[in-house]
Amino acid sequence: MTFKRSNNPGEDIKRGLEMPQKRRQLIAESPADIPVAVYGVNRLAASLHPGTLKAKITDKQPVGVDCWKITLKSLREDGSFPFFRAGQFVTLSSEVHDSFISRPYSIASSPKQARDGRLEIIVQKKGVFSSWLIDEARSGSIITVSEPSGDFCHDDIRDRGHVLAVAGGSGVTPFISMMKAIREGSEDFRLTLVYGVRTREHLLIDPADYQDERISIVPVLSDQQAEGYYNGFINADILSQFIEQDSSVFMCGPDAMYDFVTHELNKLGVTRIRRERNCVTDRRVDREEIYRLTVHIRDEVYALTARNDETVITALERAGIPAVVRCRSGVCGFCHSRLISGEYYLKPEDDFRRQADRKFGYIHPCCCYPLSDMEIEIPIFDL
Amino acid sequence: MNKYDVIVIGAGNGGLAAAVRVLMAGKSCLVCEKHNIPGGFVTSFVRGRFEFEASLHEFNGIGTPEQPGSTRQLFEQLGVADKIEWIQLKDAYHLISRKEGYDYVMPFGYEEFAKANNRIHPEGEKYIRDFFALCQQIRDAMEYLSVSKGKPDPQVMMEKYPDYLACSPYSVNEAFEALGYPKEIVDNLNSYWCYLGSDGNNLSFLHYANMIYSYYSKGAAIPKHRSHELSLAFEQRIHELGGDIWFNSEVTEILTDDSGHVCAVRLRDGRVIESRHVIADISPHVVYGRLMKPEAVPEKARRLTNYRKLAGRGFTVFLGLNKSAEELGIKDHNYFIYDTCDSVAQYEAMKKFGNTAAQATVCLNNADPQCSPPGTAILYMTTLFTDDVWSQVSDEEYFKMKNKVAKAMIERFEQATGTSIHDHIEEIAIATPQTYARYCGHPQGTIYGYESQYYDGLMNRIQMVEEDRCVDGLRIGGGFGERLLGYPSSYKSGYNEASRTLRDMEKEGC
Repeated sequence: MTFKRSNNPGEDIKRGLEMPQKRRQLIAESPADIPVAVYGVNRLAASLHPGTLKAKITDKQPVGVDCWKITLKSLREDGSFPFFRAGQFVTLSSEVHDSFISRPYSIASSPKQARDGRLEIIVQKKGVFSSWLIDEARSGSIITVSEPSGDFCHDDIRDRGHVLAVAGGSGVTPFISMMKAIREGSEDFRLTLVYGVRTREHLLIDPADYQDERISIVPVLSDQQAEGYYNGFINADILSQFIEQDSSVFMCGPDAMYDFVTHELNKLGVTRIRRERNCVTDRRVDREEIYRLTVHIRDEVYALTARNDETVITALERAGIPAVVRCRSGVCGFCHSRLISGEYYLKPEDDFRRQADRKFGYIHPCCCYPLSDMEIEIPIFDL
Repeated sequence: MNKYDVIVIGAGNGGLAAAVRVLMAGKSCLVCEKHNIPGGFVTSFVRGRFEFEASLHEFNGIGTPEQPGSTRQLFEQLGVADKIEWIQLKDAYHLISRKEGYDYVMPFGYEEFAKANNRIHPEGEKYIRDFFALCQQIRDAMEYLSVSKGKPDPQVMMEKYPDYLACSPYSVNEAFEALGYPKEIVDNLNSYWCYLGSDGNNLSFLHYANMIYSYYSKGAAIPKHRSHELSLAFEQRIHELGGDIWFNSEVTEILTDDSGHVCAVRLRDGRVIESRHVIADISPHVVYGRLMKPEAVPEKARRLTNYRKLAGRGFTVFLGLNKSAEELGIKDHNYFIYDTCDSVAQYEAMKKFGNTAAQATVCLNNADPQCSPPGTAILYMTTLFTDDVWSQVSDEEYFKMKNKVAKAMIERFEQATGTSIHDHIEEIAIATPQTYARYCGHPQGTIYGYESQYYDGLMNRIQMVEEDRCVDGLRIGGGFGERLLGYPSSYKSGYNEASRTLRDMEKEGC
């Protein structure tokens, strides 16, 4: 074949040889200003995902039984937090005595409230960090708050127009945010909340505060008979009254509730259920062992001890090492770390690693328990 | 350690390949990455039961161990080839174009593809063989240019590669017009345009022809464990060679000395690491616009950067479906779904919201049936925005806009393929230009670096690579580099910039 575009012999080749000169000329004619470094898309990306923020505790109020509502304001000039999707969580981090601890909490405020400088979480007093937040942290205390994360959110492509929300105890928190979001217009779906608690005193919300034709709240009291309330556990009988032909089912609460309610839902033929995962916590072991844990962060090396009944992340936190962690349940991958040597235990249902992570030996320390001395490299906590 | 021979900014393909090259030459090297994993776009993520591929559709240049393609050869040279398992793809694509009424599957393979063109034009095979002969000459010429290290013998070029020289100045549309092939054949050959994202009036014919020749004749592959496998293979290699990678460690400044030579980088937490040589696998817009003090940015760098045009901003919908591909009637791995095969019209329509001009959609299970649990399927659909409509979106509108665009793409896929998937979506994730900007920092969320423009295409960039260098001790490679976007290009670009850095070091006597 012969390639020819111009009828003048040699013209095509000549044109090709002149290309660099033409490019040179176009560059010389371009502006000599410093290239623009701020872009609309990048601005919004940074606004929604700032990484971490410093925030101040502005209020603590007891709610229900053994729970507190904690209100935060960011240290930005306008106190704002990123706009988010109702149902997401933030991870709070702080030095607590000799440790550096992080815990995820579902957001109870609405996306617009957060944007306007009011981030609420509900804390149940049960662990070291919760107790510290409730008993020791003061109004005015400064802590680190992650950007909102997680996808326990209604999605109008994936989910139906009606959501049957099943909550147990403080597991109602993401649904509080959703109900507020529906009322303020940042979400658009109908929600029926079947809300299990022990007694009326344990309720963390007053249904009267959420009156809206798109929202209904059905409290179910396990340990109390009261007029106008269902009594017992959240069973198929109760659920069948509120599930619609085409509902999406969301569930947030303790694992024991998940097992029970899933079984009840299965009786009704419902198998598609979105569950918010709970944190991976200490495990029971037959014999306690203590192992050496060697940790590399950039060019620094730390030597610490780790118990076989605690996750690797807990060992890091106890030692006061600022460790990057967000969901504490294996799914988000923020704590992605390189295993250099050693053995660990990981429940198969907590293993959300990528295939290649398994192949090349990477772990999520938030859900791994040491089974031998271990050496790992973790990413630096970018405060 | 506070001092390295070379610092690499960004652990994308270019950065990873550069680091391995530098380390293999016995130099010390630190890679600084702002994210917590390597790879940039070359990664994957897990949602529920599904692991989604973040960016790769079809990787060309791999070939087989017996007949390795150029990228496999590069991987062998860098010592990562043995770490990666590949799955060969059978078909090139299923093209569905509304305006022209096309709906056909094209196979990979020199002979297979040539013959398949008889189905779309009585003399299709003849035209394809003619086209492949031209492509082979282009390929041979590029090989010769590469071995002659920028000093080719003009006599040899004129005698052996006259067609290469003659088509070198032209765009895809100009060249196809000159070749005079029937419209059906040209439309088919234009199918891959969205992998480069520049319309046929701007895209360099040499570049495009070389790429599609590689696809059609040599086929393509995907790594068994998503592209994250590639990035971890490189990370492991870097550790084997004694190199360091620091994650969550964004470089916020490149420091230069009084003579204007690079001398160090500063990280976000303020730490300064010394090095006389930096290879940046990030955009020159970020390097010269933000990472260097204005007075340290030479005029040439400003003009050159302002001359460049940002390429397509990415948008991808990832779907985990609760039925198998077979049950859903999704038969093929790779779909190109276009409103028209006219790339100029498509490019224009992609400037705005509300279009369905083009989508490249992959059903991963049709390449790797084990990629998701039995009875499920993974589908991901990608399009580009060729202008900055996303920069106008507010925080409050953002989530709704994401779903609006995604919904239109899903509907378009269903309509084009006659399938129904919307009731079977178990997991959904959507990556917008904001998502790409967030993870990789690229201006406006471009996923294709600088667009191939008429005078800023592959050949001109390669020819002028030394001329484009602006700061002593600083080399810029990867997707914004001289070989433009794409997996093979960004690895090769990083490798090349590392080789040049090693030559710079030699000249400086270190």
